[in-house]
Amino acid sequence: MTTKSLHLTVNGEVYDAFVSENATLLTFLRDVLGLTGTKEGCGAGECGACTVILNGLPVNSCMVLALECEGAEVRTIESEYQNGELSNLQQAFIEYNAFQCGFCTPGMIMSARALLEANPHPSRDDIREAMEGNLCRCTGYDSIIAAIESVGVSAS
Amino acid sequence: MPAYLHPTTLAEAFESLGEGTETRYLAGGTDLIVQLRDGFIAPDALMDVKALPELQGIKTTEEALEIGAAASCGQLLASEHVGYGCTVLKQAASTLANSLLRNRATLIGNLCNASPGADMAPASLVLQGVLTTVSPGGGRTIELRDFFTGVKKHVLEPNELVTKISFPLTKGRGIYLKKRRIHGHDLAQVGVAGFHDTDGSFRLALGAVATTPLLLDDFGRLSTTELASQREEIVAEAVGAAKPISDIRASKEYRLAMVRLFTERIVDAFANETEVQR
Repeated sequence: MTTKSLHLTVNGEVYDAFVSENATLLTFLRDVLGLTGTKEGCGAGECGACTVILNGLPVNSCMVLALECEGAEVRTIESEYQNGELSNLQQAFIEYNAFQCGFCTPGMIMSARALLEANPHPSRDDIREAMEGNLCRCTGYDSIIAAIESVGVSAS
Repeated sequence: MPAYLHPTTLAEAFESLGEGTETRYLAGGTDLIVQLRDGFIAPDALMDVKALPELQGIKTTEEALEIGAAASCGQLLASEHVGYGCTVLKQAASTLANSLLRNRATLIGNLCNASPGADMAPASLVLQGVLTTVSPGGGRTIELRDFFTGVKKHVLEPNELVTKISFPLTKGRGIYLKKRRIHGHDLAQVGVAGFHDTDGSFRLALGAVATTPLLLDDFGRLSTTELASQREEIVAEAVGAAKPISDIRASKEYRLAMVRLFTERIVDAFANETEVQR
């Protein structure tokens, strides 16, 4: 299998790696870096479980080749938990019971994080639009939207 | 498994094309990566063209809005250059999949994938888009109306690369209406774009109702009064041009009914100069 070198930053850590030419960003994160918080759902860009933030924008990591990320800055769900504390979004998802099985949650939180960084006080419509690409088959979305809205409302 | 190529100049790109091998150009990859994963295509190489300078950016010149092949639909939606009549492109882009995919998917990739239901095709057709291409042997321009030849088929030669699409600047008004089953996840069951230019020119384009997106532009120049009085003829022409099939997304009969409804709504909005019913 042919590999090529890849230099990128993930959650603030700089990595130099050799990756398969066909590896997706998702498989690189999970299988090479061991960052298994990012989940593979459909593998076809439909469910959003694999959402990460690539150069400031939320994307499906299953739809990006790892080698497309040369020089890029990537953030995954692992970046949310800092210094032994859950992030405000993680805490809100717990408070609002915004997950059941939890499989979609990492992708949900990364989409929500990207939204809040671009728009700190999103409306419900803004939230619905930003979360269109993230499927949940447990909660029915209302609690997820309420959790994200609560973080937006409390933002200074 | 295909090799990954990442040229930074066109010369390097064309030098990398192997004799007798198939290279597929990779921009947003939102169709290509799924096709690769599912084994529908098996090229020898993928060439990531997003770093090529000729494919960058969204800008306006004195005559045209130009959108580079590396520009994502997310960039299109955020661009202040996409204004006036060209805002119909934003209407279409905002319905394309969801924000995650729009951050990767490109307008030109959507056109080059040549799906009959491509969301960006009807809006690009009514705006009279013109593609610019380069090839190892030169380059050319292709009017988008002459681009599509069948389901997933177009007039590009092997290794011919679209660098940008240009739309004549206009202050007319465009509308794109799309029917889909689920917001954020569905391709168009039917898409209809309409455009009423400041000189009265009226054009319609239909998506997902034939083997290619369809442009209907033989209506001539119509005032708002004439649009109102010729409403039924326009609707009949649109419904007559549509040749839909029944598939998992919708029946033929439903698609025809939606072409009728959307065309009526678009004509009414132009004739009465009101907001379109969505």
